[in-house]
Amino acid sequence: MKKILIVDDEQDIVESLKFVLETADFACYCAYNGEDGLRLAKEIVPDLIILDVMMPKINGYKISRLLKYDAKYKNIPILMVTARSQDEDKLIGEETGADEYITKPFELDEVVKIVEKYLK
Amino acid sequence: MIKILFLSENINLIDKYKKIFTKNLYNYNAISDWKLAIDSIIADNPDIIFLDADNENIKDLNKKIKQVCENAIIIFVVNSKIDKELLKYANAFVTLDMSEDLITSTVNVNLRMKNALEMLSSSNKDLADSLYRLNALYSTSSQFAGTLDKDKLIKYMIEGIDKALSFSLTCTLSLCNEEPVLIINSLYDLSDELISAIKMRTILNFNSVFDGENAPFDIDNLKIIKYIKYPASRFTFTLFQYDNMLAKISLGDTNFGFIEIFKENPFTPEDATCFQTIAQQVALPLKSATLYQELIETNAKLEKLERLKSEFISIVSHELRTPLTSIKNSLDILGSGRCGEVTQSAEKFLSMAMRNVQRLSGIINDLLDLSKIEAGKMDFNFAAANINTVIGYVKSALSEVAKSKGINLITKEAPDMPETKFDAQRLEQVLTNLVSNAIKFTAENKTITISSKLVNASEIKINDIFQPEIKNLNGDYIQVCVEDEGIGIEEKDLLRAFDKFAQIENSLSRKAGGTGLGLPIAKQLLDAHKGAIWCDSELNKGSKFYFIIPLV
Repeated sequence: MKKILIVDDEQDIVESLKFVLETADFACYCAYNGEDGLRLAKEIVPDLIILDVMMPKINGYKISRLLKYDAKYKNIPILMVTARSQDEDKLIGEETGADEYITKPFELDEVVKIVEKYLK
Repeated sequence: MIKILFLSENINLIDKYKKIFTKNLYNYNAISDWKLAIDSIIADNPDIIFLDADNENIKDLNKKIKQVCENAIIIFVVNSKIDKELLKYANAFVTLDMSEDLITSTVNVNLRMKNALEMLSSSNKDLADSLYRLNALYSTSSQFAGTLDKDKLIKYMIEGIDKALSFSLTCTLSLCNEEPVLIINSLYDLSDELISAIKMRTILNFNSVFDGENAPFDIDNLKIIKYIKYPASRFTFTLFQYDNMLAKISLGDTNFGFIEIFKENPFTPEDATCFQTIAQQVALPLKSATLYQELIETNAKLEKLERLKSEFISIVSHELRTPLTSIKNSLDILGSGRCGEVTQSAEKFLSMAMRNVQRLSGIINDLLDLSKIEAGKMDFNFAAANINTVIGYVKSALSEVAKSKGINLITKEAPDMPETKFDAQRLEQVLTNLVSNAIKFTAENKTITISSKLVNASEIKINDIFQPEIKNLNGDYIQVCVEDEGIGIEEKDLLRAFDKFAQIENSLSRKAGGTGLGLPIAKQLLDAHKGAIWCDSELNKGSKFYFIIPLV
């Protein structure tokens, strides 16, 4: 079973993503802040990461950069979730290495489709 | 009375001259002892000194006399033959054999000359004084023109007055800043008692300068700034016996304070004019400086507001989107049946919730768009394209929705439409909004037409109320029109349709499920294209929404 890491400080969103992805036969691992997310990513080496941008401690852009510049993890597809806030807009031009961007609020089915595109 | 001193050892000569000058009402004094001569001259300061040239020390004596009494006329009494060497030492010469009349006339001529010289020297001094004052005024004015700092202006004024009038003490009350300040510039230090007296005087002055108005401070809380030139010495209360002048510093209704100046020697009328001029001159730059400061403060406030607005938008977009996502996700999961079968009535309420989540999300997007455009932060991607392509996209995207409402959506594109530069995504957003609105307000079996054509700005026919929108446009434009057979808009509401604040209150748009910001956003987007948007409508017959973009 393919492993997906979901990193978002909003537990409700993590919960709903986990639900639909598990229904679609993926194994889900969850982290609720950037620090835990990065640690877990290195520990379990997932097949795909769904990453929120705005998070306490380490934001999604930073995690994405750290993983994408590391030969061990750079092949893991990263699906970045953004709320289009002004702070995020400022960062959008920067090189983050994310493979896909989706904007909140997103369609769950859309997320599942994207995940399947990368993992099947 | 003219004072004459006669220096000679010759008694006969002394007597002869005594007869001449006492007769002519001069104050005649004679000394025969040379040793007493200098002391006597210092004491008496005579106007005319006669020196008997029959003395071997005459040159030395003459030199000493010049040192103690430079203004006296020196006349040598000589034999009929004048020693050439003596010529340069005396103002005039009389000989022993000269007649009485000739001697008096020589004295008178020299007296007249002396008077004339004194007058000339005095007017020269006045001229130099005026020139100096004028210079001080000029350099002070130049300094005033060079700054918008109120404290500096006050400082320049005091320096200018000091330069022109060299005061002993100035007390300047400055009301330029929030807290009144008394600036004391003094030659010598002042005791605490003297400072208290000056403060008291300032309060009295305030009353007289500002027509009985009470001072906005009292002795205990008036702030003092002291500048002492020679702190080793101190002024006493005799200071208040010095000559003084007071000038108000104000322009129109604005009072900046006043300045009082003390000087040991009396002031001349010219001093007074100079003093008032400088005090008046500083008022205008002080006013400019005040306005400038207000401008800076207002700007700072506006910048802060702008920042707050940006922060607010950031909160709207982030903090609202996140919980909205959770709600939407939960509804999606429930609606998909993954958590169990959805009954018919449950589905009705689920779809109601979904619809409103969509609506809320639309409002957030619209708000974000509008504020981005207004802040000039919206990025446009202008590229050459054909507007008919955009019309095609919108038709295919919305024809299903129209069909489901039984509405006929047709297009009438102008053939051979030229390409022009525009942001296709943004104009698609505009057209989608116009057609969605038309669908909302149009009943079954009616038609909505999207058309395009080339127009010249001069031939555009437009409702009077929208005339200002196109008055500055000229040249060729591409025009797109969305025509419906819907409920129409009352004329009084036409202009309001594009006004974000009015529209947000519009119950009609609420009923139809719109955000109400679609048209204001469309207007902003077309402004960014240097185009225009307007509408034409008849109640219960239908509306025509037009937009144009320049052909470039």
